Amino acid sequence: MTAGPPKSRYDIPAHASADDPRVMLEEQIGVFESIPPYPPRTEREAEFYSLGDGQMFLNIGPHHPATHGVLRVVFKISGEQIVDVDPVLGYLHRGVEKLCENADYHQAICYMDPLEYVSSLFCEWPAVMAFEKLLDVEVPRRAEYIRVLSSELNRIASHALFVGFMALDLGGLTPILYGFIERDEMVEMLASLTGQRMLFNYFRIGGVNGDLNHDFMSRLGAWMGRAAEQIEANLGLLNENEIFVRRMRGMGLLDRETAFSIGVTGPNLRASGVPFDFRRAHPYSVFPELDFDIPTRQEGDCLARYPLRIDEIKQSLRIIDQCLHEMPDGPVMAKLPRLVRPRPGRAFAGVEGPRGLNAVYAIADGADQPFRMRVHDPSFVNLQLLNLMLPGNLVADMMAVFSSLDPIMGGIDK
Amino acid sequence: MDRALRRRLEQRFGERLTGPIRQRHDETEIRIAPADVPDVMRTLHDDPAFAFVLLADLGGVDTGHVMQVVYHVWGATTHDWLRVVADGLSRDDPRVPSVTFLWQGAEWLEREAYDMFGITFEGNRDLRRIFMPPDYQSYPLRKDFFLADDAARSPGAGVRHMEQSHAPTNAVPSSAVRRSRVG
Repeated sequence: MTAGPPKSRYDIPAHASADDPRVMLEEQIGVFESIPPYPPRTEREAEFYSLGDGQMFLNIGPHHPATHGVLRVVFKISGEQIVDVDPVLGYLHRGVEKLCENADYHQAICYMDPLEYVSSLFCEWPAVMAFEKLLDVEVPRRAEYIRVLSSELNRIASHALFVGFMALDLGGLTPILYGFIERDEMVEMLASLTGQRMLFNYFRIGGVNGDLNHDFMSRLGAWMGRAAEQIEANLGLLNENEIFVRRMRGMGLLDRETAFSIGVTGPNLRASGVPFDFRRAHPYSVFPELDFDIPTRQEGDCLARYPLRIDEIKQSLRIIDQCLHEMPDGPVMAKLPRLVRPRPGRAFAGVEGPRGLNAVYAIADGADQPFRMRVHDPSFVNLQLLNLMLPGNLVADMMAVFSSLDPIMGGIDK
Repeated sequence: MDRALRRRLEQRFGERLTGPIRQRHDETEIRIAPADVPDVMRTLHDDPAFAFVLLADLGGVDTGHVMQVVYHVWGATTHDWLRVVADGLSRDDPRVPSVTFLWQGAEWLEREAYDMFGITFEGNRDLRRIFMPPDYQSYPLRKDFFLADDAARSPGAGVRHMEQSHAPTNAVPSSAVRRSRVG
């Protein structure tokens, strides 16, 4: 750092006039260097951004294919070994919670979709559940079954993508192609049901947008016939791949106590041997009537998180099968006015998504817009594991650990 | 609604509750003073009669009158979500003790509440902005933050910097702030 006036963040030419916006910007706010070292704001930050002997910083992201979106991770490394990690979030922050406060209850639902963009239905579901609690609406049983059916399809699509991306991060190019075949099938299916391929906006307060149609049912029937077989075929690509197994085994260990202390939910918790699933731990919708197991793995490492998700796909297939057999007749929407004004109150609803607890906390104040919407995203909580799992490992292992946690940046950054 | 949980909470916390216990659907809500947060949360976490082992959510709320920090916890001893509302934080200088000593994972959730509401969590080792840029100066989810004007005050977003601390004197008439009737 040299003495004298600090240099601008932008290179302002000497002949710039006084009303050049960049000059005005600099005059009014001064210059703030947004990359450390600026004066550290917390002790932890000061500790992280001071280098020891032989250490250096390595910046990964924000745009890096292995970060599954726009995450920036600053590593403090010593040689190839990671000493400390500082994830920097917010590159995808859209302010969804604030947007929801300025949208009416129906509009708020479609802001939920782009949060976890590979499992959108699980973001819509807690929102509509919370609103239904505020409004004391009874959801028709057929609608509940359709919700379970479509969301379990979405869970399979999400897990299929996970398997592909996990292999891709470790340098295996083939599984993602097979993963996308499966995912495309399901996305097309859901598109025929909901009208959208990715951001479905299908759930409504008091039900779902439309009943099952012929196109969806015929696609689903054809796919269910070969789904189990297809998954087994895909497994062979990875299960016996020595490079894959050796890079994953024993990496990124997570024990039960740490998992609860961090608040990890979903497959990452179950891979540590805890049979914890909100579909059973806090039953909602029609899950008490459905028969399915909660798969667990005892190892708690990166490798365990992969077959665990495969087991979950199989359980999801079971649930879909039961839904198709037990689907009752009836309406798919409760009778509700177009503009809803819940009485003042608070509601919290959570569902078990493909990554853990998706939850929404909504406060109504009697107006037609939510007074406050709080969105809880599982990937956000799970991502804190990076700080625990990475130090001591090599830089290349970051990919294995990171992709095994399966974070989605859209949800993390809200 | 879990009546037994309600009785247990009343017996255990009695006078510490600053409001009536509210129950609706599958939720139970208690309200406590911010200073009681560490003790109450520790009891809820450690006492086998409660055993709320999982912090499901933590978030700030700006009612327009006061600030609140809302904790949702899950435990196997009840079928309800337990909502703990630390009520009555001042809007000028909201402070509440951190719960990171119980749940390490609260660290980022508290960072988010700090980022969005300016709530200071005493004891959080890493309380800095998490979503907004480090030079951002206001708190977006507060009720005196109005979308277009205040977002444009971010130095990163615009040309003119008019950013002020979280209570801008020039901008919003207090009558325009949407205040909750929920309390």
